[in-house]
Amino acid sequence: MTEIWLAILVPIAAALGLAVSPARHARSWALAGTLASLAILTDIAWQFPAWKTGTYFPSTDAVPWIAGAGIGLSVGFDTVGLLMALLTALLMPLCILSSYSSITERVREYYGWFLVLGSSIILAFAARDAILFYIGYEFTLVPMTIIIAVYGGTERRIAAIKMFLYTFLGSMFMLAALLYVGWEHRLATGAWNFDIDALIATSVRLPSSTQYWLFAALMIGFAVKVPLFPLHTWLPLAHDQAPTAGSVILAASMLKLGTYGNYRFALPMAPAGGVELMSVVAILSIIAILYASLICWVQTDAKKLIAYSSVAHLGLCMLGLFSLNPVGVEGAVFYMVNHGVSTGALFLCIGMFYERYHTKDTEVLGGLARRMPVWACFMVFFTLASIGLPGLNGFIGEFLCLGGTFIAEHDGQSGYPGVLGPWYAVVAGLGLILAAMYLLILLGKIVWGPLREPHDEHAAHAAHAEHAGHGHHATASALGADLNLREIVTLAPLAIACLWIGFQPKPMLDAIAPCAERMLAHYPANVERHLHANETAVAATTAESSGDTAVAATTATPSNAKGEAR
Amino acid sequence: MTTLLAAIPKATIAPELSWLGLAILLPLVSAVVCALAGAFRCKNKFPAVVTSIALGASFVVILQAYLAYSGPVVVPIFQWIEFAWGSGGAFKSFEANCSLYIDSLTLFWMLFVTGLGTLITVYASEYMEGDRGKGYARFFFGISIFLFSMSSLVMGDNLVMLYLGWEGVGLASYLLIGYDYHRPSAVAAAKKAFIVNRIGDLGLALGIFMLWANYGTLQYDELFAAMNAGGQSSVDWDISVIPFLLMLGAFGKSAQFPLFVWLPDAMEGPTPVSALIHAATMVTAGVYLIARMFPFFELHPDALATVAWIGAGTALLAATIGMRQFDIKRVFAYSTISQLGYMFLGLGVGTTFGACYHTFTHAFFKALLFLTAGAVMHGFAGQLDLRKLSGLRHMPGWKIVSWTMFIGCLWLAAFPWTAAFYSKDVILLKALTSERWDFVLLGWVGLFTAALTAYYTFRVWFRVCAGPVKYEMGAESHGAEHDGHDAHDGHAPAAHAVDSHAAHPHAPRWCINGVLIILAIGAIAAGIPAYREVFFHEPNWAQEMMAHSSAVDGAGLGAAHADPHGSSSGSPDGSHHATVLGMDAHTGLAVVGSAASIGGILIAFVLHLRSRSSADRLLAWLKTRPLIGWIPGAMEHKWYVDEIYHGAFRLPMWLGAQVLSLGDKHFLDGAIVDGIGKLPILVGKVFRPLYGGVLQGYAVTMAGGVGLVLAWVVWIWLRGFN
Amino acid sequence: MNLPVPVPFTPAAPAELSIALAVSALLFGLGIVGFLSRRNMIIMFLCTELMFQGAALAMIAFARQYMDVSGQVFVIFILTVAAAEAALALALVVLLYRCRETLNSEAWSDLGEGGA
Repeated sequence: MTEIWLAILVPIAAALGLAVSPARHARSWALAGTLASLAILTDIAWQFPAWKTGTYFPSTDAVPWIAGAGIGLSVGFDTVGLLMALLTALLMPLCILSSYSSITERVREYYGWFLVLGSSIILAFAARDAILFYIGYEFTLVPMTIIIAVYGGTERRIAAIKMFLYTFLGSMFMLAALLYVGWEHRLATGAWNFDIDALIATSVRLPSSTQYWLFAALMIGFAVKVPLFPLHTWLPLAHDQAPTAGSVILAASMLKLGTYGNYRFALPMAPAGGVELMSVVAILSIIAILYASLICWVQTDAKKLIAYSSVAHLGLCMLGLFSLNPVGVEGAVFYMVNHGVSTGALFLCIGMFYERYHTKDTEVLGGLARRMPVWACFMVFFTLASIGLPGLNGFIGEFLCLGGTFIAEHDGQSGYPGVLGPWYAVVAGLGLILAAMYLLILLGKIVWGPLREPHDEHAAHAAHAEHAGHGHHATASALGADLNLREIVTLAPLAIACLWIGFQPKPMLDAIAPCAERMLAHYPANVERHLHANETAVAATTAESSGDTAVAATTATPSNAKGEAR
Repeated sequence: MTTLLAAIPKATIAPELSWLGLAILLPLVSAVVCALAGAFRCKNKFPAVVTSIALGASFVVILQAYLAYSGPVVVPIFQWIEFAWGSGGAFKSFEANCSLYIDSLTLFWMLFVTGLGTLITVYASEYMEGDRGKGYARFFFGISIFLFSMSSLVMGDNLVMLYLGWEGVGLASYLLIGYDYHRPSAVAAAKKAFIVNRIGDLGLALGIFMLWANYGTLQYDELFAAMNAGGQSSVDWDISVIPFLLMLGAFGKSAQFPLFVWLPDAMEGPTPVSALIHAATMVTAGVYLIARMFPFFELHPDALATVAWIGAGTALLAATIGMRQFDIKRVFAYSTISQLGYMFLGLGVGTTFGACYHTFTHAFFKALLFLTAGAVMHGFAGQLDLRKLSGLRHMPGWKIVSWTMFIGCLWLAAFPWTAAFYSKDVILLKALTSERWDFVLLGWVGLFTAALTAYYTFRVWFRVCAGPVKYEMGAESHGAEHDGHDAHDGHAPAAHAVDSHAAHPHAPRWCINGVLIILAIGAIAAGIPAYREVFFHEPNWAQEMMAHSSAVDGAGLGAAHADPHGSSSGSPDGSHHATVLGMDAHTGLAVVGSAASIGGILIAFVLHLRSRSSADRLLAWLKTRPLIGWIPGAMEHKWYVDEIYHGAFRLPMWLGAQVLSLGDKHFLDGAIVDGIGKLPILVGKVFRPLYGGVLQGYAVTMAGGVGLVLAWVVWIWLRGFN
Repeated sequence: MNLPVPVPFTPAAPAELSIALAVSALLFGLGIVGFLSRRNMIIMFLCTELMFQGAALAMIAFARQYMDVSGQVFVIFILTVAAAEAALALALVVLLYRCRETLNSEAWSDLGEGGA
């Protein structure tokens, strides 16, 4: 527990140190802070005792914070949270490294806010208390808004405001749902308690109509963040305008808060609602896959293309999650990590050529393999990882998500309450073809082909004019120079991660499997129970037969460790 | 609905054979070394040497495995994707480990894959030498990745390993077709190959899911066992959909209709790549898949018939296109598609033996043909237009190329007593003696196609190697006349525009000639199993290899088949006496097949060697005919398939994408999201006049507000409380 | 700690309360009318002080009525705050006068929403 808090607070301490030291030391402070956080988290992972159990660790010692309202400062990881926190902590120093040359003004503020951003994401992944999670989840918006609005492109203010308001509006629904469950918990036990496990234990006992609305509210909040199809429009703009490192963290960690929220709250808290709305979410996910993929195809802005591809990829992730069987959920969680790695790396790659050419327009740039062969190697590599080439990291998650969708059927033998099925997998699978198409077209334009560079004076001048004054200055790197050592060091860890996960996924799969199973434990039995309870309620038959399992809210125990539904 | 399923030998688990994993590991090591060589700007032939040695060693490993082979084995290497869960019904685990499944089919395939891989690498070491220090390491990196993927495709013990290799060879193909990345046509071809293959891959992936959903495992050995036990569908789809899904994957990888369009374009890659990947090995992966999963193709009565129809149709279609192409490599590319069509026809009519034997013979002579074409291209600065080359065999230093090409052409034309004659014979015999009328029809289509094949093959040879000596150098020396082949493979066009060897043809040296001779010998030797069978009545080696694998059903070696040629064709009691043109089936087919082959060659001889102008006259005459006048042009334009696909799929989708993109920007984001965002502003506008900046205005508003509240309170008071 | 015990006083008669409230309302009303009708910032400021005192008077009256000292406490608070605020406000008025050479509040209407 102390160690987790240390991992969260060390970057903030570094931010404070950075605030009082000269600007030229800012990036060293930031690097040191993020590396320390990574080291601490690695140490936690190294001696993590709950790899095989899927439970929280540490799970018992709740630290009261606002005791009257049952809000505690309790943090702990299950393996999913730990993996996501590790991913964030791994990306943070790389983002700092990648900002060395691109951020030249208001340096201290930039790195300071960046450190705060990392801490608050890790806090959200580590929180064992719903309100604490909400604080981490929502506070990410503050530093991210500042990073976009101050250090972004020409439309940065609109992008930042839109991102903030959109996601904030969504999370109000989520907060309302969480508070409601807390209130129900108080009704049931007489005391406020926002411990996640306790909330889940309470909410699974609620009648299914309540769960339906509960699920819808939670889903809206997380769907904006994911982002799911009709709620996605803030993302391309935010990505387009954010500085490179901001895009990386946005895509790799912040969007995962949405899927993580589904995994952690929406699905286990309201299983009856989840079953009801599963097909809606699945259809929206499939629409997201195809819709975003098609848009990617005609995008000429490299960064927007990757942003839309995130929408498509996370659609697949959501589909896997909502197939509600171990294969799909396992694949979805696996995919969350891998999308972070490969998409984060793609954003870094694009940032690197943007720094040199000040344009992301694929119509203007082309054939950079000739100018920057090392960069081209990385770009091709990460693109292939993103396409889901077997042997690299993307494949396993994609394959399992699709496989989970394929077998998720109501009358299947799986014992899980899926309503998807082969046809969903077919349509989602078309997304894989489209993914290959748009990403290879992107490669074909900017990496391969005859060399095309913007007419130096004109474009470079325009770029300078455009960016003068907001810290996005021309950098020391000459036009078209290949990657320097710092940039290679930035990309190499991610490349190694791609290969390692692709060839040796078993440790991670083993770590996720118990979590997936534990989450799904709320499903087969409970859903039957709730359907059953409903039927009896409707038929107004004698309550004795189902009384033992039906609404037992009044006798619910607040115990969180054993309070799980079964 | 399933035919009698012959017993597939059960595999034993043999962890002690893990040295077989070297066959996969060695190419991977060489890929890593090549990558490092590229990173350190290696300027010599080191990458080629490393790759050759690694592939050679991997061939030796396979050879050793073949010699020591005694029955199917499963060799676990390490756990790749594996997880299990406790609760739930039928599905308790998902396993796809890195293990090898070694049976005779695996060895059969690996023998020619690694063998040809090694030879072609040696060839490429000379062919690509102009690129040393530039793309040389990248090229051999691609070759190594290809061999790595192909080995895992063939040797993996489960379908996910196969899928890994399946996409891996697609990647290698992408990287190598696009090797000359500064040429837009090469980039486009690479992209097309990958994307078209992805369509097939989706089918394969769905097939894999379907198999897993029904049988709960993806390991071959367990699958075959479960298959025998019978399975029932646990998802919406009927179990009989499996063969069609797998088939889609096979059609993509093996360039069958409707997914064949990528292969001709793939000729943008350097010639050794065309020889290795796009002729001899990778494109046969589809044949391998169907042979491997052959029992599952009996799940639906029409599955194999579909394969047969598609195969024969593709064979004919590609042959007609090949007749009207002028680029030597493209002719050979279409011939590859056509020959792959024969293999699928063989699989479809139920002779895995014929299909796989044809794969085997085809691998040698087609690799040989491509390598001779590559030698010509290498020597003539990229010239591949058969109208601009003539009389090669009279030129000094080109003897070996000409005569090895002659052998290749004879074999491709299925000239009597060549290996291909026998392998094609097995397929056509099975088709013609089938009880199904449509298979007989397809057999005749195959025979007709054989005549076309002989014609277009020798059209190339008579034009290029025979006749008076006359040549134009490739476009490298005089501008981009022949689009798409203007640059010599792997050479930067600008830098080499007027280098020494562009001025006059330079004959190949020993690396190329040696490999050509070895391949020619290989092509001849590929016939040995058939000769042993025909002349000494010994069992055919290829047939035996099939009979001890999962492809046993089509091997034609069942107890009921007394005739070693399999000509009694699935009629165990021998009541059905097959005949071809009134003769005994075997003799009759030999006669007709020979006639088709020799007839095609003779026509080619007349039109393209004896009097070359007559071909033009014939064409001109054909073009004036009212009803069929359009056909030659359509053939030259590949029956407009690319254009049809563009118009039917790509264009509508692209337009749709544009509409969606605009809709996303202006409707979803612009109208709805921004519209909602403007709501508070609109509300604010209503009350804005109250806050106009006049101090008393604020005070009036405030006082008014207080007044309203007071009035409300008073009103409630007056109304009375109740 | 021997603070003098406050002498209990008797509650006021209802008539006294209503008179006090009437005066308070009068003060407040005068303040409002003055504030709304005048443009001179010093006069407006004085009017707000009038309203203040009206409210304070009402509180004292109620404190007397209900024998509760908290009303008086509030008034003491109000007086303190009002004194502080008067200092600030007059300083502001002086500053504003220096900027525009007038005490008319309409001179500053361009600071509003509409930018009038």
